[in-house]
Amino acid sequence: MGRRTVTRAEAEDFLYREAMLLDEWRLDEWLALFEEDGRMEVTTTDWNGWDSSSAGAFMCDDYGLLKARVKRLKSRKAHAENPHSRTHRMISNVIILEQGDETVWVAANFIIHRYRDNQEFSYVGRYEHVLLVDDDGLRFRLRRSIPTAETMAPGARLSFIL
Amino acid sequence: MTQLTHTDPGGTPNRSLVHEDWDALTFKVHRSAYRSPALFQKEMSRIWGHTWLYLGHETEIPNPGDFKSRTLGGRPLIFCRDSSGKIQVFFNACTHRGTVLCRHSEGNTKFFQCFYHAWAFSNSGELAALPGDEAYADVPGFKERHRLRSVPRVDSHEGFVFIAFDPDVPDLLTHLGEAAHYMSLTAKIGPQGMQTVPGVQLYSVKGNWKLAVENAMDGYHFAPTHNTFVGYLRETGFAVTDDDQYAYDLGDGHGLLILTGHNGRIGMVWEPRFGEGEKERTAAKRQEMEERLGKELAAEVADASRILFVFPNLLLFDLEALTIRQIEPVEAGRTDVRAWQFVETGEPDEVRALRIKTMVSFVGPGGLATPDDIEAYEAVQRGIEATADSADPAYDWSDMSRGMANEKQGNQGRSIDEGAMRSFWRQWSRRVEGDGTPGA
Repeated sequence: MGRRTVTRAEAEDFLYREAMLLDEWRLDEWLALFEEDGRMEVTTTDWNGWDSSSAGAFMCDDYGLLKARVKRLKSRKAHAENPHSRTHRMISNVIILEQGDETVWVAANFIIHRYRDNQEFSYVGRYEHVLLVDDDGLRFRLRRSIPTAETMAPGARLSFIL
Repeated sequence: MTQLTHTDPGGTPNRSLVHEDWDALTFKVHRSAYRSPALFQKEMSRIWGHTWLYLGHETEIPNPGDFKSRTLGGRPLIFCRDSSGKIQVFFNACTHRGTVLCRHSEGNTKFFQCFYHAWAFSNSGELAALPGDEAYADVPGFKERHRLRSVPRVDSHEGFVFIAFDPDVPDLLTHLGEAAHYMSLTAKIGPQGMQTVPGVQLYSVKGNWKLAVENAMDGYHFAPTHNTFVGYLRETGFAVTDDDQYAYDLGDGHGLLILTGHNGRIGMVWEPRFGEGEKERTAAKRQEMEERLGKELAAEVADASRILFVFPNLLLFDLEALTIRQIEPVEAGRTDVRAWQFVETGEPDEVRALRIKTMVSFVGPGGLATPDDIEAYEAVQRGIEATADSADPAYDWSDMSRGMANEKQGNQGRSIDEGAMRSFWRQWSRRVEGDGTPGA
């Protein structure tokens, strides 16, 4: 395993498919894109490259919390997402930052439009993911979203997966 | 959003927007209090203009020259530590023509220089450099008259820095009253003190600021609103209960919920999701706290979670871990929120990581619980448009009478009643609807 070269096209396919799963609220299939013990972070807007274990964040889910988040979002009692937001994700500027033995570091830009309560919210940011490279594909070891805004705009909460 | 003017509620003994009747056991708030732009301006002037406001924590600017720029009550400010180590709070406007002096959100500097005409001020406020000063008469006098404008009052309690735009407010400790004690309890958790860390949650909600206060003082919403979070805790092996939890009116609008059954407390009350390793450390930490504080005080600090509201803009969440939340009203239907993780100085890395993971999983716009609170504020803000100027004026009032019968019998109000909200609204009414003087 590992040691095979991951092309940008393969990384793009992975990210596009992930975006589709999230836009379609296929959250169990989305969770399966993580390795066991995979993590997810959404950094705060003052993020300066620090490790999420030493500073605040918008999200820093270990695998247990990720599972809890998916379970919650599938519940009708997740009021902030019942009814679900409609989301529309655009992903571009995909770059392979570094290829390691087991993992590949991938960066991309995103724009997510979210619609709820007859209002529109835009989320602009960057992904910096660490992906585990398997013979049969890629999986998240660390999925990190970095919002670009100086502060989250009015109503632009993070009740969905950024 | 349409702007609606407040109409006379009608059929009521007076024009107040807060009606309290201990015979009928009713407490009602008129919904224009959340909607009216005119009332918002009045709040800004009568509350934000004339009381102590939470600005920030001393540990945000630990070193000489550190600064943060921050808007409070709509006024841009510089919160800094000068070269001698003293905390200074300046209006962030050049004394020359009013340009925003410091356009960075944070940093470290000896001088703040205005880009427009290059006037430079020291971090203690002196006008240090004035290009082409030969064109001014009496340069030393001119410089003295144009030193950076300080906020009239600055004081701190346990590292929490407050300011007032009115020079005549009473002393900070007088304002804090009983709330000061609960801030002190929280400050005693860490043997080396407490501090903020970077990673500040900056977000904004489409709801009136008072909805954010009500929500924090409202234990009644916890079970239904946070159904999924309670379910998550149960799966980790912790059963949430609302039994034997009480709300306290700390006077002058300050409120407190003491929560014994909602969660563990990292280092103080163990629960399974903290992991086995924490069990032993929690016992050792309790011993350390008892040696340092005495058994009784250690128990008061450690045993129960607390949500403290310091009127009008500070919420201190002392729960699984700690968050300082500052609310900054922007307009009647919009509130900016700033939240800092508050941690024990010098704690082990793995505890710090656990603390942040645990707290962020609950609070903030990306947590498993706060998004549902935000949904609540925003749904109220939209919903109260429905009854504005309705044919029957009675429709346009919100009810906050829960627990009044119990309270009338002289019992301590429960956290799942609405007593803490009522004490907040009483103070709001005194401030906004009274003659506007403190305590009136």
